[in-house]
Amino acid sequence: MNKIVDSQRAAASPFSRRRFLIVSAGTSALFGFMRPGFAATDVPTPKMFEPTIWYSIDANGAVTVSITKAEMGQHVGTALARIVADELEADWSKVQLDYVDTDPKWGPMVTGGSWSVWSSFLPLSQAGAAGRMALIEAGARLMNVNKAACSAQGGAVVCGLRVISYGQIITQSNLNRVYTADELKQMPVKQPADRHLIGYEAAAIDIPSKTNGTARYGIDAQIDGMVYARPKIPPTRNGSKVISVDDSAAKSIKGYLGNKVLDDPSNTVPGWVMVFADSYPAAIRAADAVNVVWSAGDTANVSEQDILDHGTALIADKTGGVLVVDDAGIDVAFSNAKSTLEQTYTTSSVLHFQMEPLNALALEKDGVFEIHCGNQWQSLILPVLATALGVGEDKIVMRTYLLGGGFGRRLNGDYIVPAALATQAVGKPVKMVCTRADDARFDSFRSPSVQTLRMAFGEDGKATAMTHDATAGWPTQVMAPAFMAKGVNDALYDPFAISGANHWYNVGAQRVRAISNDLANHAFRPGWLRSVGPGWTNWAVESFMDEAAHKAGVDPVVFRLRMLDGTGRNAGSAPYAVGGALRQANVLKLAAEKAGWGNSMPENTGLGVATTFGQERDMPTWVACVARVSVDRQTGLVRLEKLTLVVDAGTIVHPDGALAQVQGGALWGVSMALYEGTEFTAGEVADTNLGTYTPLRMGDVPEMDIEFIESTEAPTGLGEPATTVVAPAIANAIFAATGTRLRHLPMRPQDVLQASAKLNA
Amino acid sequence: MTSFHLNGQAVSVDIPDDTPLLWVIRDDIGLTGTKFGCGIGMCGACTVHVDGRAQRSCITPVGAVEGAAITTIEGLSPNGQHPLQTAWVEAQAPQCGYCQSGQIMQAATLLLDFPSPSAEDITAVMHGNLCRCMAYIRIRKAILLAAPQLRGSEPT
Amino acid sequence: MKRVFIGFLGVVAVIFIGFFVIAWRPSIAPAPLPAANSFSPVLVAKGAVLAGAGYCAVCHTASGGQPYAGGYALATPFGVIYSLNITPDPQTGIGNWSEAAFARAMHAGVARDGSYLFPAFPYDHFTKINDDDIQALYAYLMTLPPVNAPAKADTLPFPFNIRYLQAGWQLLFFHGGRYQPDTTKSAAWNRGAYLAESLSHCGGCHTPRNAFGAEEAGHEYAGALIDGWYAPPLTAANPAPVPWTRAELFTYLRTGASDVHGTAAGSMSPVVHTGLAKLPDADIQAIATYFSDIDGAATRAVNTGTALANAITASAQSGQPGADPDAHLYENACASCHYNSATPPPAVRPDLALNTALWLPDPTNFIRVVLNGISLQDGMQGVMMPGFANSMSDDQIARLAAYLRRTRTNLTPWPDLQAKVAAIRAQGPEASQ
Ligand code: FES
Ligand code: FES
Repeated sequence: MNKIVDSQRAAASPFSRRRFLIVSAGTSALFGFMRPGFAATDVPTPKMFEPTIWYSIDANGAVTVSITKAEMGQHVGTALARIVADELEADWSKVQLDYVDTDPKWGPMVTGGSWSVWSSFLPLSQAGAAGRMALIEAGARLMNVNKAACSAQGGAVVCGLRVISYGQIITQSNLNRVYTADELKQMPVKQPADRHLIGYEAAAIDIPSKTNGTARYGIDAQIDGMVYARPKIPPTRNGSKVISVDDSAAKSIKGYLGNKVLDDPSNTVPGWVMVFADSYPAAIRAADAVNVVWSAGDTANVSEQDILDHGTALIADKTGGVLVVDDAGIDVAFSNAKSTLEQTYTTSSVLHFQMEPLNALALEKDGVFEIHCGNQWQSLILPVLATALGVGEDKIVMRTYLLGGGFGRRLNGDYIVPAALATQAVGKPVKMVCTRADDARFDSFRSPSVQTLRMAFGEDGKATAMTHDATAGWPTQVMAPAFMAKGVNDALYDPFAISGANHWYNVGAQRVRAISNDLANHAFRPGWLRSVGPGWTNWAVESFMDEAAHKAGVDPVVFRLRMLDGTGRNAGSAPYAVGGALRQANVLKLAAEKAGWGNSMPENTGLGVATTFGQERDMPTWVACVARVSVDRQTGLVRLEKLTLVVDAGTIVHPDGALAQVQGGALWGVSMALYEGTEFTAGEVADTNLGTYTPLRMGDVPEMDIEFIESTEAPTGLGEPATTVVAPAIANAIFAATGTRLRHLPMRPQDVLQASAKLNA
Repeated sequence: MTSFHLNGQAVSVDIPDDTPLLWVIRDDIGLTGTKFGCGIGMCGACTVHVDGRAQRSCITPVGAVEGAAITTIEGLSPNGQHPLQTAWVEAQAPQCGYCQSGQIMQAATLLLDFPSPSAEDITAVMHGNLCRCMAYIRIRKAILLAAPQLRGSEPT
Repeated sequence: MKRVFIGFLGVVAVIFIGFFVIAWRPSIAPAPLPAANSFSPVLVAKGAVLAGAGYCAVCHTASGGQPYAGGYALATPFGVIYSLNITPDPQTGIGNWSEAAFARAMHAGVARDGSYLFPAFPYDHFTKINDDDIQALYAYLMTLPPVNAPAKADTLPFPFNIRYLQAGWQLLFFHGGRYQPDTTKSAAWNRGAYLAESLSHCGGCHTPRNAFGAEEAGHEYAGALIDGWYAPPLTAANPAPVPWTRAELFTYLRTGASDVHGTAAGSMSPVVHTGLAKLPDADIQAIATYFSDIDGAATRAVNTGTALANAITASAQSGQPGADPDAHLYENACASCHYNSATPPPAVRPDLALNTALWLPDPTNFIRVVLNGISLQDGMQGVMMPGFANSMSDDQIARLAAYLRRTRTNLTPWPDLQAKVAAIRAQGPEASQ
């Protein structure tokens, strides 16, 4: 493997592998991000104050915050550290992050659902407050003053004119106060008015390393003696079996080391063959040359249309599915209706296509399996790994790396299993990297969906009842059944796959039926993809609301506002949903106003509106969006001219990071509305790389106007809500511009042409 | 045996000529700032400079760069303070960051060719660099921040 | 009946013997290798420059082999011919050739031993080389280090492998004789014409050949497919939107690239970088003078300003959202280098709307470059383009070609693109060897 023969590779060479190995070998502090300007002398000294597991302060006063969330672009470490630092009254310039490895002490480790800030806000505030109290007490003692006369600010305890820094306190005392979980729960936290970090601008701590090549992602991990592996992906996600492997053609490839048919007790990667080589390019070539004959699973001929047709049949069968909402009187409302409206909406398969292809490095050291990779849900995959490897969970540790994009793909840790099994089988560290095509073929992509919505109208065009039947593959059922929710009839359903259908509009009697598309679940592994269910449910709800408004002859904004009256079950409740639907009405009004709703538009140009409560009813992030499009009737090209978004996510901890999330989230929405979407054909996705898969790029970015509502309510999530409003807003705008209604995502030029041809026919 | 300069240092590697430069830089030399995204020249994550111009290293065979001067993100400036890098921080451009080495290397060639780029120039030249986090608005902003700095720092 | 038949045989015999008599060439006696110091260094140096301009080494060096030791495979429509060893090795090279034998080979296509040379050796052009230059070339070759390299067997099938039959070919297509200056033209024009017509044998690639492999009379420089590349027309029929002026030709032949036409790819790259490289600027100017006259650059009614502006307008479409799905490929894979918004486009950012490859009647050059790229050493040196053979399918390259042809030129679409891509892909990166 000593391929660099140049004498220049001296010890002092910047190319020395050694330095990097120290990093990737996993002394976890090194995964923390050193702040620019942090002097080398600021290395932690043995004297430390660690009042909770969430952070430590060293004798220099440097605060290292433990981050158990995956960093995948949301700058989550910065947001979480600002929560701690605000209560701790730390000197922000001395705060750094430590993205920790797995350890039971952290509790469940998961990064998704836009939960991070929402779920961490109170515990981290309390942890920060606890440290502040202890430091004030110790500082007062050292200064020999009454602690009641002291306060903390800027990383120091102040009493009148006397000041003692946290570093000095820790150096001069034996501060070892540790708070129990119960004590922390009782800890009072600041009033919003007293905050001076939360809600204020700050540069994200992780950003400099992402501009100079020093940021370490899973794919950058290297271990001495490792071999490279590339998988042979079987023809079907489930049920494939290896019949034979012929590697005679691979033997002539320089660097080819052999292959291994994986035996997977966890049945995560049935039919996988790993091809090993001493370099990754050799592994790529060798895998191409290894010929594997499989017996495919029974879904080898399943197509996208089959899945959609199956979904349609499931909806037609009134007896199936799980009732999530089922109000009394709904059937009566429909039979008494003045008029009714029914429409069906569908969506195509969507790939995650996170920029860093799936990879994992695994090795066994002293009976412990070390996994090096980026991951979003360590707690979910650890037991699977334990089953696969036949060892206890305590014999597995996952080292933490940055994620080159998550978007939900890495909630599903299935890609770790083959690397772990391979290292166990060959007795060497194995670094598995998927090519882009491997990654696409192995993706847990977003399931196609079918939804049928009905509304009953009374005398005045008011809604008196609404039903929403939705079917798609259910990621939670397939991968994390323990997280299924109970429906009104006690049956289990995937809450993430239906959320959004249980909206905050008062529509009279309501029924929401969630149906698992078992064909999808079987033919591939449906994944959680940025915003999950609301990615399709809100597409249907908000397109339908528009159609309903037009049917009722009411302006679409007015129509919605009437139903967002904040009464009954939509009144909202503390702590997270204070204000309820009225806050949704507020963002909707503001977005419409900002976008010039009601103004006359040039020919073939229109405004469309959509709104959402985000991911879950108990963590609502209120968003409204107005899209302005112009449509070229000759080519069907939809030009998205502008998006106006108004967001109410309660307290905004890291405003610039929040803005970035909404920008990125909304553009994901644009991408899935107009540019991306694949098709399941013969048991696999049709598009496996950028030659044919066409996510949004710079030239496709519209003008954007984004506003946050100032609020001191509890913070909610931001990673996903903006994603879900864009597609319906665009479809509604296309309708406003042309009178053409599109009910399938994505909406490509030929779809626009076809739909308008149908309209004119 | 292929010899070239990498970030100013002479390197010789004994690797088959048709090996993509990307893997030589990342795995054999160990500079991992250059990223693998698509492997087919359509995402730009692997962009490096070959004799001063942005190239997709995933489809550049190492044999093709014999005698060339290669620059990676690590070598763009001695201390990570190239005007593009400081502009990237000022604009808080990266999200996950994975595409950003390539974005910055491509932007360097953009600003070399178009020192005062129009919006259309930026779009056209940067369109080939996919950012899955869709940080495009800030990438554009960072380029506009860096442009006057680079114009100022270059002798005309 | 029998008599008629015998009479017929007699006629055949007479014709045959007559042909033999006409075609027969004597062997020229082996001569001892002249001592190196018998040639003046000035003469040798002059010969070196001329040998470059005649691309002797390009054809007489096998890939990876010793310079001038032969063995380079020339794929002709008739079969593979291997070039001969022209180092002064007495056994396997031309070490025992007298200057007269060398001159006869150059001027008449006959080897020292009296056998005919195949016209793959362009003696139909070299016949025009003047005696002084022949002398210098001889001096240069005879002072090269000798290399022992026996000839490789050609793969020409019968009857093409009968060297004797070349006499018939000569009879039909070969017109010997030195270059005759055109007194109505300038000295520079005549110098350019001399170099182009004789030593540099530009017609060897740029003139189409007939079924017998001879350059078609009356179609000089009309453009031809050769060595897996399309050598564009050098006449007024050259389709480039901006005419090849003397200045453009000079820049191109000197540097390997022109801002408004493209770079020297394929077999044209060694012509520029190893062939003409040692010629002084004045000679390159002379060649440019000659061809800018032939292509009528001065008289062509093309508004260069408009042509450039049109090209830039077409180029600047990139990255602007459009409905054309084929544009995606271009914008994702190509536009980061091939996009311009002002004139003149810099050569380091080649503008495809101006690139000759897109305007040719045959898509070969375009497809070959997309598949295999252009190396740092070729074309404009120091600027490379990676190949997309492993990145794009035949269908995608065909769509890309069609897209550019339809958006960057006003010419008719190329037919059968996908099959063409597949065929060129199958030839591999080194089609000519
Ligand atoms: S990895 Fe090279 S362009 Fe995508
Ligand atoms: S910042 Fe994540 S892909 Fe660009």
